[in-house]
Amino acid sequence: MSTRAAPLQAKAQLRGRGRAAVVGLERLLGPDYRMGILFVSPIVLLVLALVAYPFCYAVYLSMTRKYVGLPPVWVGLDNYVKITWDGFFQRAVANSFIFTFGSVGVKLVLGMAMALVLTSEIRWRSFWTGVLLIPWVAPTVVSALNFLWIFDYSLGVLNYLLVRVFRLLPQGVGWLSEPGTAMASVIGVNIWRGFPFFGISFLAGMKAIPGELYEAAAVDGATALQRFRHVTLPGVKNIVIIVVLLSTIWTFNDFQIVYILTRGGPGGATQVLPVFTYEIAFGAQRLGEAIAVALYMLPALAVVIIVLARYMRRGRAK
Amino acid sequence: MGRGRMPSKTALARLQGAVSYAFLLGLLLVVIFPFYWMTVTSLKSEDQMRSLVSMFWPSPFVTDNYRHLLQKTDFAAWFGNSVFVAVSSTFLATAIGTIGAYSLARLKFLGRGFMASATLITYLVPPSILFIPLYAQIRNLGLADSLTGLIAAYPSFTVPFVTWLLMGYFESIPEELEEAAMIDGATRFGAFWRVVLPLSAPGVLAAALYAFTQAWNEFLYALVFITDVKLRTLPVGLSTFITGDVYGWGFLMAGAVLTTLPVIAAYMYLQKYMVEGLTAGSVKG
Repeated sequence: MSTRAAPLQAKAQLRGRGRAAVVGLERLLGPDYRMGILFVSPIVLLVLALVAYPFCYAVYLSMTRKYVGLPPVWVGLDNYVKITWDGFFQRAVANSFIFTFGSVGVKLVLGMAMALVLTSEIRWRSFWTGVLLIPWVAPTVVSALNFLWIFDYSLGVLNYLLVRVFRLLPQGVGWLSEPGTAMASVIGVNIWRGFPFFGISFLAGMKAIPGELYEAAAVDGATALQRFRHVTLPGVKNIVIIVVLLSTIWTFNDFQIVYILTRGGPGGATQVLPVFTYEIAFGAQRLGEAIAVALYMLPALAVVIIVLARYMRRGRAK
Repeated sequence: MGRGRMPSKTALARLQGAVSYAFLLGLLLVVIFPFYWMTVTSLKSEDQMRSLVSMFWPSPFVTDNYRHLLQKTDFAAWFGNSVFVAVSSTFLATAIGTIGAYSLARLKFLGRGFMASATLITYLVPPSILFIPLYAQIRNLGLADSLTGLIAAYPSFTVPFVTWLLMGYFESIPEELEEAAMIDGATRFGAFWRVVLPLSAPGVLAAALYAFTQAWNEFLYALVFITDVKLRTLPVGLSTFITGDVYGWGFLMAGAVLTTLPVIAAYMYLQKYMVEGLTAGSVKG
């Protein structure tokens, strides 16, 4: 048919000749375009309405002075400039980094140990994996409330154990009310909740390493440490990178644990960016400024997301 | 030489085994204890809690906390709200995510690669960036302070997750199966519906369970969108029980037990699929 040679002609024939039109569209949009576009359109709508549009609106709002219920007033980059020099904001940024890197670092070590133990010859493996994953599936709010009760100064079980049962301390510690222990406590709860995800993901990665590699290493006389260093680590490298980056995003944006346990206290000692954002938006009712706080780390976040998305897609392509 | 080394090797292996089990047992205790403590607390009387006697076992066993929770608080209404929101958004997310994932994993059309990336990036964008503009949007639509608003907002995180998880699942099913079905006269849709979908039932089930868990556990949107006490979901409702006074802990923990139960029950029942799903969702082993 002549439609193949002349695109303009093809366009003209679109209306008149159904078959030719379909062939033309298939060449332009791909062989499965009808079902493909139909099936993917709900996601397109959803991403546009629930993510892309709110995101653009957020960028706009961050450049306005906006109070709940009032129209926004354009102020350019004032919000960003203002919060940059704000001591509370600076502290929240510093705390967010401490919270994130403290949690992710320990989760990495703990998860790796968990995966290594579970790949060794061990009984009831599925029982251990099953139970150890429970903190990950349980509602985070419930876990945070449990720990709030465990950490309680006068009636909490942690002080009871340390003071009365094991006699390690002369008196109880205000875990969440003293600046020195509050950050460590919220980090501890985040680790408790998050390490199983590291362990199970690493375990899946280790299982995928061909057994012949270990046999070959054993024949060559490699020690356990050398096998870990030269066989296990390279085998799980991609998964480690993906899990660490994923967890970095999640931990940096974790709202519930700090909100429930300390609300950023005492005296701002555990104030992290998501809770700070919430307080400015719904405590102080300054929406524009709150969004500027939320978006301040966007360039860094965007880099992490893009790198991570690359790794995740590459992991799939194999 | 070999004889000399053999015993030490088995001793080493035994030591290694002992350390492994000790490590796992330690982790197990740390993981389980908060749940044990929550259950024990929920069955203790106020007097016992204040007096620090028989710390680790209720004596006497009382159900007062549960009675108080169900009769004197809005817990039952919150439970209903949570079920309604989680079930609705799970159906929505699973339906949209399944067909979308099939489309992105298998069908050839313009813009497929772009949409696959967009979906993945959406999955990675944290709610703490989106909650204020989403709140403004939900308000403008007149959906603030309604469960519909939550059901409308939850797909923003459940759908990308379900889609990403199932894309991996569909990609692992040999394409030849569909081709064979289509040579036998099935349409593309027929091949999807009768060949691919039944084979991926475990994946769809795992995805649906995770969507349910995510919706059931969601806190930030529910906290921000809902102000009416009766319309709260469980996580937000429970968090309002924190009063700092002693008497609250018993029924707060009773509420915590009842909030955890559905998720843990589903997990225990379908653990195998969920563990597989988890690893497929982030990475493919």
